[in-house]
Amino acid sequence: MLRHRLDLAAAAVLVGAMAVLPLVFPSNYLIGVLTVSAIYGIWAVSWDFMSGLTGRENFGHSLFIGVGAYTAGFLNTSFGANPWWSLPAAMVVSVLFALLIGLPTLRLKGPYFALAMLSGSVIMQRLMLIFWEHTGGEEGINGLAPLIRSQLGFYYFVLGTLVATTVVLLALARSHWGLILRAVRGDEATCQAAGINVTFYKIASLVISAACAGAGGAMYAHYQLQVSPQLFAVVTSITIITMVYVGGMGTIYGPVGGAILLVLATELLREFGEWRLMVYSCALILILFFLPTGLVAPLWQRLRGLLRRKGKDPLVPVAADVMEQQA
Amino acid sequence: MLEILIVGAVSSAIYAMLAVGFTLIFGVARVLNLAHGSFYALGAYGAYWLTSSLKWPLLPAALASIGAVALFGVAVERVFVRPMRSSQLAVLMITLAVALVVEQALFLTFGSEYRNVPGFVDAKVTIGGVDVAGSRLLALAVSVVVIAALWLFIQHTRLGSAILAISQDAQAAQYVGIPSDRIFSVVMGISAGLAAAAGILAGPFLSVQPTMWLLPIVKAFAIVVVGGLGSIPGSIVAALMLGYAETIVAYAASTSWTEIVSVLATLLMLVVRPAGIFGRRAAF
Repeated sequence: MLRHRLDLAAAAVLVGAMAVLPLVFPSNYLIGVLTVSAIYGIWAVSWDFMSGLTGRENFGHSLFIGVGAYTAGFLNTSFGANPWWSLPAAMVVSVLFALLIGLPTLRLKGPYFALAMLSGSVIMQRLMLIFWEHTGGEEGINGLAPLIRSQLGFYYFVLGTLVATTVVLLALARSHWGLILRAVRGDEATCQAAGINVTFYKIASLVISAACAGAGGAMYAHYQLQVSPQLFAVVTSITIITMVYVGGMGTIYGPVGGAILLVLATELLREFGEWRLMVYSCALILILFFLPTGLVAPLWQRLRGLLRRKGKDPLVPVAADVMEQQA
Repeated sequence: MLEILIVGAVSSAIYAMLAVGFTLIFGVARVLNLAHGSFYALGAYGAYWLTSSLKWPLLPAALASIGAVALFGVAVERVFVRPMRSSQLAVLMITLAVALVVEQALFLTFGSEYRNVPGFVDAKVTIGGVDVAGSRLLALAVSVVVIAALWLFIQHTRLGSAILAISQDAQAAQYVGIPSDRIFSVVMGISAGLAAAAGILAGPFLSVQPTMWLLPIVKAFAIVVVGGLGSIPGSIVAALMLGYAETIVAYAASTSWTEIVSVLATLLMLVVRPAGIFGRRAAF
């Protein structure tokens, strides 16, 4: 029980800090950075739910993000739809793309899914440039209406969505469903032998992941008030994967921490100018070598262990605990 | 009609050089090398830098560039890929990270403008009433020779049979004393050299700029899926198919739609026959 209470307390402190920070230091710059970090948080948890749990690496998460953002852009500017329609529409379109790529590739073993997602995002970016008459080319689509006029209000909306997404995905990951997804990562053949429809679970989790990413993309579009082909870039996917790596893959809550940490770090790297991406890529290589299990989740697990020992809690392993350690 | 035949053959040849290297390192070391496109970009940039800044003649510049990229490939395998070989995801991540570092390094040194790699021949050749740039014909000829040489090397030399043995059964190969780690380095070097050569040959008629590594990876993946992962004859046949399919689409519809061909081919093939045309047979 204590384990649960400690987790809840930490989550409450983090969310509280995120919510209070812009009230203490009221600056548009800070609100902007925090909004972006919350959106990246949504992308990172949604990546982790599919790829972290099932071990099927998605190298083109930017496909869903871009598709969601462009759906929002088209609906809002070409059809003049109310901005709130963007969110459900973006989710539907992202899910369609997830089915298009997931159905052929996820029933196979091997690296097909990872590479097909990468190809999908690269080609979508090319198409946005090639069909510039409709998509605005390099410039993208401009002049989207904001979802909520007040910047602070929008930030709280995004933060609320991040918390809700994380809670739902965490609950799913710790449920029977999550157990199956982890089992798929462990040994797919055994799962099939046990009568589990492995392909269904993999595709279903991809669909959930894509819906969240698409909604995040639409929010990003309505935050930037424009969409550009850069959303589809491989760099976007890699940034998200790096966040998950830093957070601790397969832990769901870790990637949120990783996303917030890295967005803030990226802001500090601003003075590096055009060296920024270079620093980022080198950091990624160092992380892969020296922190293969991540930073945020392992740190928290150790800290929690320390706190628990102080509270003289008898160390009874909880099922979720064991699962987490395997993760 | 003749134009389609020639242009299709040229792009097929470039694709084949790219895809053969990509599939070779997968067939032997089970490594999916996402940095493969970077070798292609580095080859083109190497030739550009040596000829324009150091004023080298083109042929030594091209050879030096291929050699340097091959060494770089060996270094990437040694330093980055080998410690990660136990996990597929780690290999994909580290090679992608290497590709990003290369892209950024090229961007920081050369900027994002398009660069011109000089061609070996500037003349235009007329075949049956169709004007073809000499550099394209040269690309076709060289890649046919290089791939044929690779084939002979694998089939008829000691090192080649070691490569063949590892790709058929890595464990058994180790039992008979083949030093597989050393072979992996060699294969990575060959694969990187092939990609660099493709970059140099395609340089005169393609855009040379830092993000040029991305599309080749997509094309190589499509070819390798259609041909069967790890199969060299498969990737040659698939390269021909993709090269001609794209050319036909470009002439029949418009060049805008060519980029979709590779992704459609990949998805269709995975639905219809995931093993690829030559999959499930011996790797070579």
